Amino acid sequence: MEKNFKQTSRSGAVAWLLQRISAVILFILLLFHFITYHFLTRTHAVEYRQVLERAQSWWFPLLQFAFLITALYHGLNGVWSVLEDYLSSRGWRLAWFSLLLTVGLALLFVGTLTIIKLYTLKVA
Amino acid sequence: MAKIDIHVNILRYQPDSDEKPHWQEFAISVDDDSTILDVLNEIHWKHDGTLAYRRSCRSSICGSCAMKVNGRNVLACETPIHRFGRKFKIEPLSGFQIIKDLVVDLDPFFEKLKRIKPFLIVDKPLPDKEFVQTPEQLEQIGESTLCILCAACSAACPSSWPNSEYLGPAALLKAYRFVFDSRDDCADDRLEIVNDKNGVWRCHTIFNCMEACPKKIKITEYLSRLKLKVVENSL
Ligand code: SF4
Ligand code: FES
Repeated sequence: MEKNFKQTSRSGAVAWLLQRISAVILFILLLFHFITYHFLTRTHAVEYRQVLERAQSWWFPLLQFAFLITALYHGLNGVWSVLEDYLSSRGWRLAWFSLLLTVGLALLFVGTLTIIKLYTLKVA
Repeated sequence: MAKIDIHVNILRYQPDSDEKPHWQEFAISVDDDSTILDVLNEIHWKHDGTLAYRRSCRSSICGSCAMKVNGRNVLACETPIHRFGRKFKIEPLSGFQIIKDLVVDLDPFFEKLKRIKPFLIVDKPLPDKEFVQTPEQLEQIGESTLCILCAACSAACPSSWPNSEYLGPAALLKAYRFVFDSRDDCADDRLEIVNDKNGVWRCHTIFNCMEACPKKIKITEYLSRLKLKVVENSL
């Protein structure tokens, strides 16, 4: 029998797969976050200078940006998949999708600015 | 065996006279080892002959008597009343149109089942005798073949409630049962049917179906395997 999976991208298969992949990435990033932030700190109390030094190491913006993208995708894709159960009219679907997209882009913008700001902040 | 007094609230709906369903309480005396079906029979035979409900085999085989008792989907014929004490309520399955009292319209349920072609389709030449399956091949589908199509799972599924187009766990489980059957040659067709927004992707692994299934079939696990199979075949 001939294979004929035309509607893969719109069927939900890709969203389902990406949701699982992003969950695994988030888990790894969270582990990395906890280890570097909470267990590798040499002093007892976390100091401002220490935080800033870490924020300005080469890997920090990369890690944070990966975190930002994955968390945003995972969260918004999750909300969208819940909404899809309840929204049957095209109009409402479009409205909610646009809202989620706008929220996502706004958070991406704010998050990126924060990462850049931390990276370029002068250590006093 | 002793007699006990119980109070049963039943959601009644008589299409000729009722605008909407309403509760009716029955105070009756039954044997303490009665099942929910025994209680319904007692009411139907001795108290109110207009009470409508489905039953046939009385042995958890035909799947006709699924209903909700104290909010849980059960088979009336296999469920003893002592699980619920002396006061409980009985309602029809959720998510289906009520025809009369505890009888719901299962046409949409069976329509969805038909969509996934719930029968063995064989393209290869038939063997002289029976098909041979290894124990491993049988093991893969064994539990999923136990489904008695009672609709308890689909009625318990929150993804089904707001969306009447969703195939639902029972039809998807049946798809799994044939997709993973070593004798069947129609897996690709079935995978294409379930690869839809209202197919297997509407399942959000909520586990309500598994909790509701009187045959204790691990439906959610099988639907997850079906999802993986769709992804494997389509990407
Ligand atoms: S899977 Fe279980 S609950 Fe669903 S229809 Fe079959 S027997 Fe009933
Ligand atoms: S009467 Fe057949 S399953 Fe209950």
